[in-house]
Amino acid sequence: MEDKLQEIFSCHHGSRDALIPILQDIQGEFGYLSPESMEAAAKYCRISPVEVHGVATFYAQFKFHPVGRNTITVCQGTACHVMGGARILEEVVKQLGVKPGQTTSDRRFTLETVACTGACALAPSMFINKETRGRMNPGKIVEVLNGACN
Amino acid sequence: MEPAIRLGPEKARQVLVCRGTGCESQKANLIFLNLQKEMDRADLGGTVEVKFTGCHGFCQQGPTVMIMPAGTFYCNVSPDDIAEIVREDLQKGEPVERLLFMDPKTNDRVLNYRDINYFVPQRRIVLRNCGFINPEDIDDYLAVGGYDGIKKALNMTQQEVIDEIKLSGLRGRGGAGFPTGMKWEFCNRSVADRKYIICNADEGDPGAFMDRAVLEGDPHSVLEGMMVAGYAIGAANAYVYVRAEYPMAYERTLTAIGQARERGFLDKNIFGSNFNFDIKVKLGAGAFVCGEETALMASIEGKRGMPNPKPPFPAVKGLFGKPTNINNVETLANIPVIMTKGGEWFASVGTEKSKGTKVFALAGKISYSGLVEIPMGTPLREIIENIGGGIPNKRKFKAAQTGGPSGGCIPAAHFDVPMDYENLTQLGAIMGSGGLIVTDENTCMVDMAKYFLTFTQKESCGKCIPCRLGTKKMLEILTDITTGKATMEDLDQLVELAEDVKDSSLCGLGQTCPNPVISTIKYFRDEYVAHIEEKRCPAAVCGSLVMSPCQHTCPAGIDVPTYLACIAEGKYVEAVEVIRERNPFPAICGRVCHHPCEGKCRRGELDAPVSIRFLKRFAADWWFKHIDELPEPFPVTKEQKVAVVGAGPCGLTCAYFLRKMGYRVTVFEALPVGGGVMALALPDFRLPRDVVEREIRYIEARGVEIRYNSPIDVNRTVEDLRKEGYEAVFIGAGAAKIQRIGIPGEIDGLQGFCYGLSFLEDAKAGREVWVGKRVVVIGGGNTAMDSARTCLRLGAAEVNVYYRRTRQEMPVTDLEYEEAVDEGVKFHFLVSPTRIVSDNSTLKGLECIHMRLGTADETGRRRPVPIGGSEFFAPADVVDIHLRSTEAMVIPAVGQAPDLSFLPPDMKLELARWGALKVNWNTLCTNIPWLFAGGDFVTGPATVIQAVAAGRRGAIAIDKYLRKDPSRVEIPDERLEVVYKVTKGETITVQSMVQKRSHLFDPSQKAMVEEEGMGLKPRASILTLPPEQRIQGFDEIEISYSERQARDEARRCLRCDLER
Repeated sequence: MEDKLQEIFSCHHGSRDALIPILQDIQGEFGYLSPESMEAAAKYCRISPVEVHGVATFYAQFKFHPVGRNTITVCQGTACHVMGGARILEEVVKQLGVKPGQTTSDRRFTLETVACTGACALAPSMFINKETRGRMNPGKIVEVLNGACN
Repeated sequence: MEPAIRLGPEKARQVLVCRGTGCESQKANLIFLNLQKEMDRADLGGTVEVKFTGCHGFCQQGPTVMIMPAGTFYCNVSPDDIAEIVREDLQKGEPVERLLFMDPKTNDRVLNYRDINYFVPQRRIVLRNCGFINPEDIDDYLAVGGYDGIKKALNMTQQEVIDEIKLSGLRGRGGAGFPTGMKWEFCNRSVADRKYIICNADEGDPGAFMDRAVLEGDPHSVLEGMMVAGYAIGAANAYVYVRAEYPMAYERTLTAIGQARERGFLDKNIFGSNFNFDIKVKLGAGAFVCGEETALMASIEGKRGMPNPKPPFPAVKGLFGKPTNINNVETLANIPVIMTKGGEWFASVGTEKSKGTKVFALAGKISYSGLVEIPMGTPLREIIENIGGGIPNKRKFKAAQTGGPSGGCIPAAHFDVPMDYENLTQLGAIMGSGGLIVTDENTCMVDMAKYFLTFTQKESCGKCIPCRLGTKKMLEILTDITTGKATMEDLDQLVELAEDVKDSSLCGLGQTCPNPVISTIKYFRDEYVAHIEEKRCPAAVCGSLVMSPCQHTCPAGIDVPTYLACIAEGKYVEAVEVIRERNPFPAICGRVCHHPCEGKCRRGELDAPVSIRFLKRFAADWWFKHIDELPEPFPVTKEQKVAVVGAGPCGLTCAYFLRKMGYRVTVFEALPVGGGVMALALPDFRLPRDVVEREIRYIEARGVEIRYNSPIDVNRTVEDLRKEGYEAVFIGAGAAKIQRIGIPGEIDGLQGFCYGLSFLEDAKAGREVWVGKRVVVIGGGNTAMDSARTCLRLGAAEVNVYYRRTRQEMPVTDLEYEEAVDEGVKFHFLVSPTRIVSDNSTLKGLECIHMRLGTADETGRRRPVPIGGSEFFAPADVVDIHLRSTEAMVIPAVGQAPDLSFLPPDMKLELARWGALKVNWNTLCTNIPWLFAGGDFVTGPATVIQAVAAGRRGAIAIDKYLRKDPSRVEIPDERLEVVYKVTKGETITVQSMVQKRSHLFDPSQKAMVEEEGMGLKPRASILTLPPEQRIQGFDEIEISYSERQARDEARRCLRCDLER
């Protein structure tokens, strides 16, 4: 892990304003922010670990536990809400057996929600990993889950 | 409309594939791949160029493939369609018809995108290149005049550039609408060693996606805009802050910057000048508040995204403490074209204070969702009905939410509002980022407000108390309202709190998050009140209050899912008993109810609603056919007796339920028969007389005493009834006083002229009626339909209906309208009579005028407006006048009206504004504590089921009055349980269960239902006699379901009630 972190740090200045991009790269590499990696980032940016913790916990994107191999993000934006987004979430929760923010026991899926994916014309929508799926209905969820590549 | 296309050498045509996020999610990448493959195979690469583009905005119809320069527009394309497109269109020159856009009004296929109604009214300035250029190819941008703007600016002074932007009148498109030129000027005036330009691409508003489309489709336009801004202000450093949820926008922006750098358009000495400028991209990390400029800057600085007080403004002290100018993506995309075409040109578009265009993200309950760019000042109606294609599924527009969580709603009454900053602010909405969410009658506005508060509460950064705690408390109150736990005091507190949070929050998030609450309370207060006082959600959305949407929407609250389940199992008697718990007229309603339940049926979202009305008829008819012995009267358990005036559906329902509760009841009916309008005027082909008689006999068998030929009038007043020992009186006397149209020439006694209601009464009673050969019926309600169809049956050769509005505004069901059309009735919309022409009491004809629909009135219906000079004369043999029925509780200008003359004037009864009795809507009590009234008598002409609901409400209220119980009448959804109690022979009784929650939910039952119901069986059609046969007589035209059909149809029910 040390090497990977050094690789990441070498792409950024060791200054405060590089903190968020650094944390994003760390999460991109490891899938989440561990206490050790946050401490290393603190050292590199020359700020205290508690400052790093304060920044990281402010933003919804950062995760502090290992995530599943696939992330399902159900959109809860306005257009999706009006078009039945709540029922999509209900159904996904039922099928995965976990609530938003949790990971399935086989580590295959992590469930998240997002306020808007920007695919409003295709409401209701959801992300599977980085792919957007629009015009969802409860029937299509199984297909999406089965098609998850990881 | 499109930019000049750059075709490579020798290329005659271009094929453009949209690869914005929306289309990518539907396999646009595969479409592109297949296209390249097929092009190779067909060896067309020499003359046809294949290109992918960004989003052109017609997202609903994606994925799309466009062929230029012809403009052939293929939509809903799948990767498998590509071979055909290449073969038929590119090679043979024959467009693939089935993939062309189909105009919903004409059903014609439209070849050219320039003729598609979605695009025609648009004026694309911001989106000028989106959908036409390859966003990842800087040469494409250069070929359409890209970077000419900055080149021109570099030859002007900084002040000249600022003045040009000021002249244009451009205002910030992020939401606040601050004049851009002025903003630049402030920053220009600041003196510092370093200044910054920031492009705010955080676009956190749920429902807005235009910034995404611009960055994905034309990123260079934004970069160029930033460069001009940087030059004008004196900044050499810039950031684009893109939200993390837009990976494609992020990538394309980075690519564009890379390409610009390569060409020397960024970094040092740009275009040979002294101007240095470079741009970095920062990715957001998931915080809505970072769309606020000070929070955004904190985020770039690597801190928690918490806003800071202003002043100091960013123009003075911003990023890293330096003067900073922040602009929205859309604002910046306008800059290059303002520079090349001039500020004056830009100012020629739009309204006085709102110049230019606005990109709206149209989403929600709309036929065509996507991006729409129109000049400021375009009316909302134009955007929604014309461009957006209107509300799907024939539903009614309810409100348009603008500005996302910071905005407000625009209700139907303001459907014609010209969209600009000032008008929207006046209505309590805001322009915001341009998100425009359309809602229909199935959206609950309280739920929407709660939805927005849930969002803003979660995104509140927590720094200031008003927002941190205020949003939490507002959300709590809203949640209580939607779960039926709130009081009216809570509503007052909510309003007060909203104002306080608005006034005292630190940043825009807190200051604007109460807007949806304030706005929905302003325009939909009655919805809030219904949730609180009646525990009703009018849209049938709020889960805690709604057992199933059908039951909740039914005015009488009939337990639809339970009786459908009984029918599915062949238990028809049980089904009828379930219905009779709330409605003693199953056979009648099964024929004439306008079935609001079907309008909300969730099955309808999948294929078609369950045929609830007709199943009710099936069960009722079965009951009457197979049950010979009428049941025993309900036992008398109370001392008091109650009198009911009028044996129509309202009065009889009231009497029935009073008797059921154990009171002795007597109904006083002036006429020799009961049933009111149902028995006297509704034609036999819709409601046979014997059906009504049977239902009344049942009610009498249950113990209700009906005295016919017993009017309540000056000889025996309601006060006399009191003296006779009736401790309470309910008036259900209906509304049968015919209204006149009120035009010149409307004289009585004209041969060939008769009012609809009396015509129907004569026909139903079998009296002699004269019907001419050519008939004109005026009006568009049930009475008009019935009269028209009766005329056909009585020998008229031609029947014309003149209605002053359009089909959309007619208060009749689709089925009734179609049946009338099938039978040969001719409809003429937007026609109104102005004079009845007669000669010596012989009718000559009708002078009429054409109307057009004007702007919306307070209820949202469009006012008909006469078109000057369009008068015409319609000669007629019989002019049959029907006064249009109005919806309950609206001031009826024409229609039937209740006749209050039998009430003694010295009773000092309070009247409502429109002349009917004033009653408390919860108890139906007048200002005299023992006198109650309901149904058409109070509301004006309405529907049977509404009368039934009022009757039952009256009975419950009278019972409370007699027991001295001051509590409100509450009629919640209930799931009824059918209990078998064998008494004499086999009697089925139905027990009502108090609405309980999860421990009654049997998951196995729901699973079984899902399996069966989801089998996607289509709705069983209601067969009718052929039209030519129908008009031969007055037989019922609907042919009953068979048992098999009924049981299968009932199984289509999704049992929504089992989820609760």
